[in-house]
Amino acid sequence: MISDEQVYQQVTQIMAEEFELEPESLQPDATLYEDLGLDSLDAVDMVVALEKAFGMKMTDEEAVRSVRTLADLFDLVCRLKNRQVTKE
Amino acid sequence: MKAEVVVIGSGISGLTAAALLAKKGKRVVILEQNRRPGGALKRFTRRGIPFDIGFHYSGGMGKGEILRALWKYIGVWPRLAVLPFPEEGNENLRIMDSGKVVRAFFSYDRLEDELQRVFPGEKQGIYAYLNKIREISNTIPFFNLDLPLTPYLHDLFSPKGMSLAQLLMSLIRDTDLHAVLSTPVFLYGVPPREVNLTIHASVAHPLYSGVYAIDGGGQAIVDAFLATLAEAGVDILTGQKVESVLIRGNQVAGVKTSEKEIYASHVIYTGHPTSLLDLVPGEIFRKAFCNRMRNLINTDSMFIVFGAIDDPDTLGDLTWINYYNIRTGLDIMDLDLRHPEKSIMINAPGRRDSDSTGASGGVLLIRMSVWDEVARFDQGVREKRSAAYRKWKAESADKMIEQAGRLWGDAYSRIEPLAIGTPLTFRDKLGLPMGATYGVRHSMNQFSPGVRTRLPGLWLSGQGTLMAGIMGASLAGMVTVGEIEGLEPLWYEVRQCR
Ligand SMILES: Cc1cc2nc3c(=O)[nH]c(=O)nc-3n(C[C@H](O)[C@H](O)[C@H](O)COP(=O)(O)OP(=O)(O)OC[C@H]3O[C@@H](n4cnc5c(N)ncnc54)[C@H](O)[C@@H]3O)c2cc1C
Repeated sequence: MISDEQVYQQVTQIMAEEFELEPESLQPDATLYEDLGLDSLDAVDMVVALEKAFGMKMTDEEAVRSVRTLADLFDLVCRLKNRQVTKE
Repeated sequence: MKAEVVVIGSGISGLTAAALLAKKGKRVVILEQNRRPGGALKRFTRRGIPFDIGFHYSGGMGKGEILRALWKYIGVWPRLAVLPFPEEGNENLRIMDSGKVVRAFFSYDRLEDELQRVFPGEKQGIYAYLNKIREISNTIPFFNLDLPLTPYLHDLFSPKGMSLAQLLMSLIRDTDLHAVLSTPVFLYGVPPREVNLTIHASVAHPLYSGVYAIDGGGQAIVDAFLATLAEAGVDILTGQKVESVLIRGNQVAGVKTSEKEIYASHVIYTGHPTSLLDLVPGEIFRKAFCNRMRNLINTDSMFIVFGAIDDPDTLGDLTWINYYNIRTGLDIMDLDLRHPEKSIMINAPGRRDSDSTGASGGVLLIRMSVWDEVARFDQGVREKRSAAYRKWKAESADKMIEQAGRLWGDAYSRIEPLAIGTPLTFRDKLGLPMGATYGVRHSMNQFSPGVRTRLPGLWLSGQGTLMAGIMGASLAGMVTVGEIEGLEPLWYEVRQCR
């Protein structure tokens, strides 16, 4: 099982690589849409990239849509990862 | 050369999009890499026999139904002679494990009667399944034309819900019946365990509501569109492979083919979404998008024998009946190359022509295929193929003909192959990666590509974006134009034509 800290690092790395963002800009309170410049089209690509990296499904659309900041995203991924572990 | 919109591809989605835009007063140019327009709808002729490739039948052409409304709105409908399948028409499904034969009629009521006759112990499950499909189709705007499109399209692109396999397992025990009710998957290429009920119902519902052929086959559809487009002043340039999309600032500026540049502020791409990446400079899209498009899972391919039979009358009623030999259970799409008995399908779409003098001798034998079968013969697009490939192709065809003879009578063993389609053929002639017959797999395991892209003015369309099939691809053309011109107003106008 990977720790929350590892999730944090991996999410940051994926966002930096897949969306070509400066690592310094990836602060927890950065908002995906205003600060990082993602748009609704990027949202699906982001979900697909994270699903692939963590081998899980992010099918709860409400939860994905309520993500505003990177911190929200870390939380969501951690929650889904933990749920997956409990299920297994 | 200048236009307002360039449409890349002249399959049914490109033809539909171009016709709708022209109707809206736009100056449109279609670019097609092949010498003849029409994509998968084109017919080809061998020894005077015309053969259809990508159109054998379709639903949605009855009174008040969607394709009829859309094609009326476009103006092609009056140019088509539509042939409804007669009541007795059906998919004749033989289950190889039990030898059971089921006639899947193209009508909810007749299908239900037949299924109850063959599977008397499953009455409730049969009723519940058909009811479920009807119920879901009622929430889909293409079948309940009073509904708005926007909410439906929003949900469609997020894969979720129950799979067809889950539904069937929850309602029915008999594995032969699982197979029978799964057969619509052959028309869109997603295995029952991976397809959600919305996609399945989008094909199953029109199938159970009545299907139609067109006099002259897919070519007649192409010709009708070409006539309408010519009247509207749309140019179709063939033999023009688009090599790149031109960009000025952060905006589409046109396209470039090997011969010319055509300037336009909108470009609609109807080919396979993965190949879009070859047309656009690397820095335009983000890596996440490129990876997603590159990793799309596609449908499997097919192996098709286009054959001739000297005495067509010896084959029985092949005009309005499609014969299938399938395995039991939910894995009917899996191709087990080691298993001697394969799922196989036989039909004769050309026989439905009113002038069937040439067409009546043509027969299609179809089975599933995968890229692995031909990978060792691949020497690149349109290279001359090896003798080993031709030998493999001929032997595989002979096996199918022999099998058809065993299954459906001696007459079938006299079929003479005139042309053979393999995954390599579909890749080279239709631009389908690894010969994926229906392109992108509209599976619950992935998000299908949307219509918009990050590059303003560049739009996607085609079977990869919405649904496979003539209906799915034509509607995809409509949806893309709707995104450009205003979705609900266009939808409102189209449905007035029902
Ligand atoms: C064997 C087979 C049987 C089928 N049977 C049926 C059936 O009975 N009923 C049914 O409803 N559906 C059937 N289908 C499915 C149906 O044919 C397709 O879903 C539909 O035709 C797809 O239309 P399209 O416009 O999306 O793509 P296509 O028809 O593939 O058109 C895309 C066009 O774009 C062109 N293109 C691509 N890239 C470029 C480029 N860079 N530059 C220029 N041109 C380019 C291609 O050459 C092609 O002509 C069948 C398909 C196959 C293969």
